[in-house]
This record gives sequence, C-alpha cells and structure tokens, in this order.
Amino acid sequence: MATDLAPPATKPASPGDRPGRVPIRAALLRYRWLYLMLVPGLVYFALFKYLPMYGLTIAFQDFVPFLGYSGSPWVGFKHFEDLFTGPDFGRLLFNTLFLALLTAVFVFPAPIVVALLLNELRVAVLKRFVQSLIYIPHFLSWTIVFSLTYLLFAVDFGVVAGWIHGLTGGPRVDYMARPEWFRPLVILQLLWKTSGWGTIIYLAALAGVDRNLYEAARMDGAGRWRQFWHVTLPAIRPTIVVMAILTSGNLLDQSFEQIWLLTNSLNRSVADVFDTFVYYVGVQQGGYSYATAVGLFKGVAGVILIFGSNWLAKRLGQRGLF
Amino acid sequence: MSASRRRILAGVLTLTTALALSACSDVGGGTEADGDTLTMMVPLFGTAPDPQGEIHQAVEKLTGKKLSISWTPNAEYNEKVNVVLASDSIPDVMVIQDNKGPSFVQAAKAGAFWDLTDKLDKYPNLKPKSEQAWINSKTDGRNYGVYRVRPLLRSAVVLRKDWLDKLGLEPPKTTEDLYEIAKAFTERDPDGNGEKDTYGLILPKWPGTNFAASSPYNVIDVWFGTPNNVGMRDGKLVPEFDVPEFWEAQKYIKRFIDEGLVNPDWATLDTGRWNDPFVQGKGGIIIDVNVRAGELFDEFKELDRETYHEKVAMAGNLSLPDGRKFSYPFTGFNGIVAISKQRVRTEEQLDDVLRTLDRLAAKEGAILLNNGIEGRNFRVEDGYAVKINDQDPAVKVINNDVDFAFIQLGMTSSVGVAGDAYEWMRPSEAEKEWLEQRDELMNLDLQTAVHDPSLPVISQTAVERGATLNPIPTDARVKYLAGELTEEQFRAEIKRWYDSGGTQILAELQAGIAKIGG
Amino acid sequence: MRTTAKPSAVKHYSSPGSRVFDTLNVIVLGGLALITVLPLLYVLAGSFATEGEIRARPFFLWPENFVTSTYAFIFANDTLLRAMITTVVVTAVGTVLQVTLTFTMAYPLAKRYLPGRTLVLNLVIFTLVFGGGIVPTYLVVRDLGLLDSYWALILPLAINPFYLIIVKSFFQELPQALEEAARIDGCNEMGVFLKIVLPLSKPIIATFSLFYAVGIWNDYMSPLLYINDNQKWTLQVLVRQLTSPDAANAIGALDSAAFFPAQGLKFAVVVIATLPILCFYPFLQKHFAKGVLIGSVKE
Repeated sequence: MATDLAPPATKPASPGDRPGRVPIRAALLRYRWLYLMLVPGLVYFALFKYLPMYGLTIAFQDFVPFLGYSGSPWVGFKHFEDLFTGPDFGRLLFNTLFLALLTAVFVFPAPIVVALLLNELRVAVLKRFVQSLIYIPHFLSWTIVFSLTYLLFAVDFGVVAGWIHGLTGGPRVDYMARPEWFRPLVILQLLWKTSGWGTIIYLAALAGVDRNLYEAARMDGAGRWRQFWHVTLPAIRPTIVVMAILTSGNLLDQSFEQIWLLTNSLNRSVADVFDTFVYYVGVQQGGYSYATAVGLFKGVAGVILIFGSNWLAKRLGQRGLF
Repeated sequence: MSASRRRILAGVLTLTTALALSACSDVGGGTEADGDTLTMMVPLFGTAPDPQGEIHQAVEKLTGKKLSISWTPNAEYNEKVNVVLASDSIPDVMVIQDNKGPSFVQAAKAGAFWDLTDKLDKYPNLKPKSEQAWINSKTDGRNYGVYRVRPLLRSAVVLRKDWLDKLGLEPPKTTEDLYEIAKAFTERDPDGNGEKDTYGLILPKWPGTNFAASSPYNVIDVWFGTPNNVGMRDGKLVPEFDVPEFWEAQKYIKRFIDEGLVNPDWATLDTGRWNDPFVQGKGGIIIDVNVRAGELFDEFKELDRETYHEKVAMAGNLSLPDGRKFSYPFTGFNGIVAISKQRVRTEEQLDDVLRTLDRLAAKEGAILLNNGIEGRNFRVEDGYAVKINDQDPAVKVINNDVDFAFIQLGMTSSVGVAGDAYEWMRPSEAEKEWLEQRDELMNLDLQTAVHDPSLPVISQTAVERGATLNPIPTDARVKYLAGELTEEQFRAEIKRWYDSGGTQILAELQAGIAKIGG
Repeated sequence: MRTTAKPSAVKHYSSPGSRVFDTLNVIVLGGLALITVLPLLYVLAGSFATEGEIRARPFFLWPENFVTSTYAFIFANDTLLRAMITTVVVTAVGTVLQVTLTFTMAYPLAKRYLPGRTLVLNLVIFTLVFGGGIVPTYLVVRDLGLLDSYWALILPLAINPFYLIIVKSFFQELPQALEEAARIDGCNEMGVFLKIVLPLSKPIIATFSLFYAVGIWNDYMSPLLYINDNQKWTLQVLVRQLTSPDAANAIGALDSAAFFPAQGLKFAVVVIATLPILCFYPFLQKHFAKGVLIGSVKE
C-alpha cells in the first residue's frame, strides 16, 4: 500500500538502513544537510526544555520560592513517601486510572469515527459546514463548558435532565451531585469539547489518500464497505497508531479546571484525581515540591506507557514512533 | 536556495537577539530602589490603566513619585507572586493577597519583607484603625504589611421584599422567623402565579475544601452559638463542628433541606450563579455579604427600572428565639501591602516609602483611589459621590481605572468601607435606606461578633496535611445534610479528623494563640 | 508516473444499504454540528442581550432586547483592539517560525538511516512527559533578556514535541521514490526537503499551521508570565481578565469584594476572541478539500 510504505528497499544514493555502520565523522560529512537541519531544533530543546529541567530537583526539596533552588532545604524522598503512603493515594490512583481508561476507550476513538463519517459524507456543502462547526467547542474555556453542562443537567431546570425525567418518569436525578454520574459527565464534556478538534489531524491524513486507489478497488469489484476497509482505514492507521502512542504518555493528566468545576462534597470520593489533589495541596502548603513529585511520578508512568505502547504497536506489526 | 535559507535563519536569529536586548523592564530586579520611582505589583480586575492616564498621573502628582505599577490579573496573581519571589525580582511595594499562605510566610520569615508590627505609629493614616483587623491580618504573630481594609462585619440576610410584602411578612429577626419565611416562600405562592414553584433559601456549592470559609453554613453555625472556626471552651480550643450548638445548627439547616425550602441544586449551584434564582423569582433568601443586596438591586434595575426598588430587603444577623445573639464577622482586611527588604534597604528608604503610602491612605488619596477626580468623573452631593459625564469616553476610562485597578491600592477605604472617601450615591430611596441600614447593622452586629481567634497564627500540621484533613468535616456536613450520612457517621468522620491530625492542629493553634496573648 | 484523479471519480452509490448509511450519516453529523453550534449561538445571542435577560432566561437563541452596549463598552477604549492587533501579529510571526522549525527538524528525524536519530527522538519524547516547571523556564526567558518582548510568547513554544513527532511520522509515510529521483538529479537533502517534500505536505503544513496558530492565539500563560508591560498584553489575557471568576478568586469570593464579571460581557469577549481564529479554518480547509497526490506515486 502506497501510504504504508516500508523504508525504501533500494537506495542507490543513500546508504543502508541501519545506523551504527558508518563512522561518526563520515556520517557527519555525508549527512551534513540533515544534521544541519536538526541544529535549530536541538538548540530549542536544549534551551527551553532541558535547561529548565533542573526544576525537577525540587521534588527532593521543601521548595520555598523566595529561597530559590539553591537555598531551599533538601528533604530526600519525603514528598514521594507522603504521596505513596498518604491516606488518599489509593483513591487518587484509582480515580485517575479509571478516568484515563474511560478516556482511552471513549474519547480517543471519537475523532477517528467522526473523521471517517465525514469522509463518507457525500453532500459536499454539508461536509464543509459540519467540518467548520464541530471544532468550535475547542475554543470555549472549561468555565463556559461547565455553565453549559449546568444548563443541561441541573436538577430543577436542566434541559436534558428534564427530558430524561420525562422519558423515564422516575424522580428527578441531580446528575451534578451523584457520584455515579460524575465520570459520565466528565467523558461527555471531553467528547463534546475535543472530538471535533481531534478530527483535523485525521482529516489531514485522509486528504492524503489517493483517489485512484478507490478507483482501482472499484475496478476490482470492491463495494463501499470493502473500500473503506482496504483503502481508507489503512491510510489513516499510521496516524492512529502514532496518536495512540503519544496520547498514552499523557493519559494520567486530567484537565484540572474541568474536574475542579465538577467536583462537590457529594461526589468528591470519585472526583479527586492527582491533578486536583495537587491543587489542594498547593493552596494549603505552596506545594511546589509535592506537585513536582507527583509530576515526576506521572512522568515515569507516562514514559513507561509511551514505550510500552510503542513496543506493543511494533509487536502488532505497526511502525511505532521509531 | 539553501544558502539564502541559511541567511534567513541567521537573520531571524540576529533579529531575535536585537529585539531581546532592546526590551527589558524587569519588575524590580535585584537592584536597589531609586528614590524617585516606586515599583509596585498590584492585582487587576479589568483592563490595565495606561500610565499616561488621568488617574495614574493624578496619583503620581499626589505622591510626588513616579509609579511603575505592574498590574497583574487577579486570577493568576498568586502564581505570579511566586514567580516573582523565586526569581529575585520583587518590586518595592507588593500587594499580597494571601498573607497566610506558605510561600509568603516563608519569604517573610526569611527576611524578604519589612516587619511593620511596631513601625506604623508615626504615620497617621497607616496606623491601624481597627485593632481587630490588625490582629486578624497578622502572619504568625507579626504584621508584614499594611492591611487593606474591608468591612469587619458584612454578613446579612437578603430577601425578596415584594414576596414579603405580598405575604404580609416582616424581615426576620430570629432564626425561627427565617424558617417561617422560607416555609411561606415555598408554600404560600409568593409570586402569585398559582403554582407551587418557589423555594425559600438559596444555598450554593461552596468552593474549596476548608470548613471555615465564610459560607452561609458557617454564618448559621455562629448564629447558634458555635465558635467561629475555633474557640476556647473550658480552657481548651475546640473546632466549630464539635460543640453541642453545632448539632442544633445542623438540625436547623437540615430541616430546610428535608422540607424542600431550599433550591434543589443546593449541593451543586455555582456561586457565580447565586443571584440567578433570586432574580428569576425561584428563590427568595440569600445569606451572604451585605453588598450582595446592592448587586441584586442592580440586576433588578436592568430587568425593570420601575419596580426594582421594591424587590430587595435586608436583615442583619439573626438572634436565637431565646434572644441570645451571635453575629458572624469577617476578617476586616483583604490582604496586605508589603514592602520589599531587598529593594528598600535602609530605615530612611522605608520611611520614604511609608510616607508615600501614608499619602495614598489619607483623605485625598483615598478619594482618588476609590472615587476618582472630583469635578471630572464625580461630584459630591449630600456627602455621597455621584457619577458625572459618564458618557464621555475619557471619563469612562477614569471610571474603569478606578473601579478595576486603583481601588486595589486602597488601604483605608474600599468597597463597602468608604472611610475618608465617598460612598457612591444610589438613585432610589429604597437603596439609600438600604445603605443607611447596612451601616447601622454593621455597627450593631459588631457588638455581638464572634471572632476567629486563630487568624493571626499558623499551624504547621494544617499546612502540611490540610489537603487531606480539610475536606473531612466539610464533605461530611454536606453529606449529612443530603441525608447520606447519619449523625453517628458524621461524628465518626469528625473523630477521623481528630485522629488524622486535627488534635495536633488544635494544640498548635492553642499554643500559638497563647503566645501572642490572644 | 503521475496520474491526476478527478474529484468526481468517486461515484455515488445506489445500493439500499449504502443509501441507508448515507441518510444516517447525514443525521448523525448534522446532529453533531447542531449540538456544537447551539451553545455557541447562545453565547452569541447572550452577547447581544441585557444582563437582566441573561439572568432571567436560562437559554435562548435570540435576545428579547437586542442591545449592542456590551460591545460598545468593550470597544470604548482601544485596549482590546490593540490587543487584537498584537495577537494577530504575534500569531502570524509565531506560526511561521514554529512551522519552519518543526518541519525542518522533523525531516531528518524521519530518515531511519540517520545515525543518532533514535537518541534525539528519545530526548524529544522525554520532554513530552517531563518539564522543569514554570519558574525555571521563566528564569531562562529572563536571562535571555526576553521579558516584555513578544519573542517570549513565541520562542519558548517554538516546537511542540507532540506535533514534531506527528509531522515526522507523516514524512515517513511519504513515498520515497520521488525523493530518490531528486537525489539522483543532484539535489542535496535540503533541496529534496524544499522542492519535493514540502510541496507534497501541504495538508500537513495547513494542519499544523492551524494547530500552532490556535496554540499561540489561546495562550494566556506566557503573556501573563513574561509580559509585565500591560500595554503589550494579548487578547487572551484580556479575555481571562474579563471572564474568569476562577478558582483563586472564588475561594476568597466572600472576603474580597465580589467581582463577578457580567455574563453578557463574558459572552461578548468569547465571541470576539473566537471569531477571528474561526475564520482561519475555511482558509485551510481548501487544502484539505483539494487533497494531494502523494499516494499516486507508486513505488
């Protein structure tokens, strides 16, 4: 398949596929243009990404902003101990993982489905119309999303709450307060806010599919479903794989503002996640060091997830990140 | 092609460096203050004033200093304060909103700011006017700044006046009155539409996890005679939620909820939408700060200019049916104005800065910061300030600069405390009466105020374990009121609070209070 | 080698199953568009309504009293207009720089044979999950002398590692044959990149221009941290200023004077801040609609 190429099998002008064969100096000379193209990016990463990394050391300090990085006292693994042995850890981990799982299952595939549906849409005008509308929610802040959620789900005047009440005839449910409705609401909000925006990348991938491939498939007698299965899907599979691997690294990050707004005393037991707890710690104790410790913990988990899913992708015969 | 590309890249880099070098005006830098310019960092609620603007110029003229003010959005103010503290770029003068927060406490203890505890006596306008606010604004026993005044007592009950009138009811005096009114608002069709679609009390979801957080719940607790946050009982410091009166208060509140006298979404209603049910005619009582009545007047005014003055009534703190009365006070301050020791190094320099602040706190300065420029954007009538020329764009800018920016520098006068500045005139008789009533109630209720003795001290355990401990009693109360916890389970949660560090917090607070002689 | 495909090459299907699917698809996507656009219409209508009406009516699509006073208030002084111009310029310059840097770096990383590539990729991936935090980054920006410079809004965000890796993966999907041909014709790698790869990547360039532009456009943290001169503020800082009674404020809500922004103002600001960037999209859509011919190059 043209879009799922293996690396070029024969390369008259280029050397072999495996690195390490060429001595460094020869490589530098031979690929001078490629290396030159890397330089600005490397400078950027060194300056703005790696130079500030020393900030991670405050996970092992009791960081006081005024005393700074050199003046704050060192406390070793205190914050990690607090984190792992604290009475909230189990609950935070469970809630965070549960939401991560729901996000992976429901939120991640949504833009793919929408992009594929859009791709099948035959009415060009409608297609353009829908495309330019569905990504609008991306621009609305969580505060606005929350107010809209309230308009829909408030126990006494919520529009959707009213419909459900009317359909089922049961007692009015306070969706915003019931713990069992917290996660569905989070996922619904995420779906609404992110699905449309997420389609853009897949639409770009779909734009790259050669129309002739469909023509060829049709010549071979393929129906619509088989064209989808054999042309469309393979065309965006690499994009899906890359997106899956990359997002897995940030799976444990939840949008603090979103969760915070939806949290109340009645649903806190299921609502508290690392990101909101770090905020509460921050309000109480400045919490820079603790927050950084949590960040490090999540980062390590993220690295494991990225490399794990990359490995998995390769095992499944996909290209992966490397 | 590639050569030209390289030239472009080189060009971009050079341009970057050039732009970078030509642009620097750090908030303060590690350098010393110079005598003529005062650098400041102040929270901002709207758009930032132009340094060439009329108010800015007038303030500079008054103080005789050039002011370089870094207006910082309120929402991210604390974040920016931490960055400034961490990067050695503290300005001469800095508004600190959270002067009990650990990053300020630690900075102050490490000598970042002047300790003004014994230094303000010779400045007539900075000298604390309220002993209580001065104590409340202490950071671990010391005053690291001049407090920004707020009304010390501003709790009140706001009601739909038209509903009261229709049902022939008077504003409440006792907690029992309030219950009766809420019941009548719910059951006797106060809006006269023939349907039972109203409720009495409007309760919002209180943000944050702190138990003592000036919520309507806290106000009711105190009415029933609990301590405000903590209080001494038989020589021992006890929390608000562990005295017999607390349980009476809970049963009182629970009665409202069980009988449907509150909004059905009381556990989730956003505080930003608190006014909505009141204005929409769904609910008729709000227990909050007295200025909310002013807000409600304004919102009704937008709906109907003819009748708005008939819609809002206010009552002060309520007494118990047996006549005992306990009122809920506020802290009387809103953050402090702190002075950097890195920038303002000597006693002479400090004196100079304090004299400048004193001028801002004096009558002329207070008027400038709270009202604006007399004859330009307001005039004085019967001792009230009245807006003039407010359609003139330049005057709009003045109003904006005052209301959303410079008022934040007000130390002796502010929203709700006119001090030496003028109260804004309200057009209708009802509103004027309300203003007078407000001031009357503030003074009256202050006599029965139950203050929180722990405000000037800090418990290290509360700092370290607050994130875990604070939600325990807070959530338990809401769950109890919602019927999800029994009283026994609620008491068990309180015991869990004691056992996980609460006992220690109380011991530390008690020791701290004893030390400063409170 | 190249065969041009006519857009009309995709025929309409007439099997009943196919028609049912088409109908359902129209309904589903139409519904989707509706639930995304309705709230925005509410925001739009609210921006033209009086504060009283917004408080009194939970949801509406047309205000009873159509007023423009909210916008008149916003544009009463030139602050917002100035911020908007600033933001447009910073976004434009920033996007060009970001796309240039990202694509330039992604290209060599797409070459599997390049020695050292895996190391660089690992370093990039690492930054996806680890960062030094606000203060150290602030110090770097300050030490580069970028405080109060618009470059501070661009340079610290010059390459998004997430985007970089996606672009790299797109490059890997490009057919190698054309590149080979160019190399045989004597082009160096830079030439291949500029003459062959970039023209083939138009939809991708369009996509990431959009991503980067929106990123800068929506960024409020950078201006807040790095720009002390309020006259240089960008649109989003003003938007935040005018719309969020946020966490920090709400907690002290009772004890600070109550400053909840008017709802109508909130809505108007959202409209003003969102519309310009919305106009950007159809512009880019052109590139998607055209499609590209990369697949037409057979190995």
